[in-house]
Amino acid sequence: MAAKDSPLKQFEIDPISNIELGGYNISFTNSSFAMLITVLVITLFLTLTVNTRTIIPSRMQLISELMYNFIAQLLSDTVGDNGKRYFPFVFSLFMFVLIGNMVGMVPYQFTFTSHIIVTFALAAVVFIGVTILGFVNHGIKFFTFFYIPGVPFYMHPLLIPIEVISYLSRPISLSVRLFANMLAGHTLLKVFAGFVVSMPFFTGVFPLAFIVALTGLEILIAFLQAYVFAILTCLYINDAYHLH
Amino acid sequence: MPQLNPEFFVSQLFWLAVFFTFLFVFLWRVSLPRIATVLEKRQNKIDENLSSAKELQEQAMEIEKKINDQINKAKLETDEKIKETINALQEDVSSQISSLDKDLEKKVSDAEKEILKSKDDQMKNINNEIVNITKLTVGKITDIELSDNELNKVIETQKGSFN
Repeated sequence: MAAKDSPLKQFEIDPISNIELGGYNISFTNSSFAMLITVLVITLFLTLTVNTRTIIPSRMQLISELMYNFIAQLLSDTVGDNGKRYFPFVFSLFMFVLIGNMVGMVPYQFTFTSHIIVTFALAAVVFIGVTILGFVNHGIKFFTFFYIPGVPFYMHPLLIPIEVISYLSRPISLSVRLFANMLAGHTLLKVFAGFVVSMPFFTGVFPLAFIVALTGLEILIAFLQAYVFAILTCLYINDAYHLH
Repeated sequence: MPQLNPEFFVSQLFWLAVFFTFLFVFLWRVSLPRIATVLEKRQNKIDENLSSAKELQEQAMEIEKKINDQINKAKLETDEKIKETINALQEDVSSQISSLDKDLEKKVSDAEKEILKSKDDQMKNINNEIVNITKLTVGKITDIELSDNELNKVIETQKGSFN
């Protein structure tokens, strides 16, 4: 448990209602609530804006279409025609992380993407899915993914373990990247918010100005990390289709 | 660090699975097909408009070609008609001129004949007058009566010296 004024206090999970299932604690928490808000925002926005289905789009419909085209383009650029069937998954992943990050930017709202268990679970789904996909597409030949052609034979004992480790560390790098970015950003905001209160007289406006600038940067990072998560997923899917 | 507290790991994973699965299924089955329909509809409309524009352009070009053909045809026809009319007029004019020429020639020759005839008549009259005047004069001066035949003979002989 963090102290009362700790900048890490914002990451604490508070149960809203205690639920237990088969001996496991599955309480509905503030984190679950943030996920609920995220899912509601995404589904309502994407449903209501496209409700009229007009050929000439309204502004809101245009935003939905832009997001659709953004991910469709990303997927076709990295994976090609094979990527179309993974579009709903990559799109859901992108929107979930993006809106989750954005919901976290609302004051007093919880940021579930700042929890390593959540980001790791998402990354693990991608990793396991891509690995299964690789074996389905290539069978046992998928192991040649770790063999780099065109390298002197005596280098292989060194390179193959490196390749294997880098492959296995994918879910870790993917999840830690998102988690660490969110954690650092929100902690920094909280630290400077503490300065605003504790600094004497009017000097508190300087950290306040810094917070304003940092909030803009955090919104950029929120988008960027969602984009990175989506594009890395696309690249991993591509690797499952095209070995070296 | 609250993130490393395993107390709520199961709860986090459970609700993540619930919400993410719901989101995925909802987007996959409801939202994305809707957006795809709209985009497809728009693309179809654009293609349709483009193809109809192309068709209209082709039609316009055809019509333009037809108009040009007809203009050319009409020009040729008018040229021919103008030529024909000019030729017909020229023929008409030349035939009229020739008939006028004939008329004039005939009139001239008629007039010549008449003039000759009247000249002859005049000459005869002059002869008679001369005979009469000579007869009278000779009769007055000499009491000799000359016959017309004698006088005529003399006049005929004298006429040759006049001419």
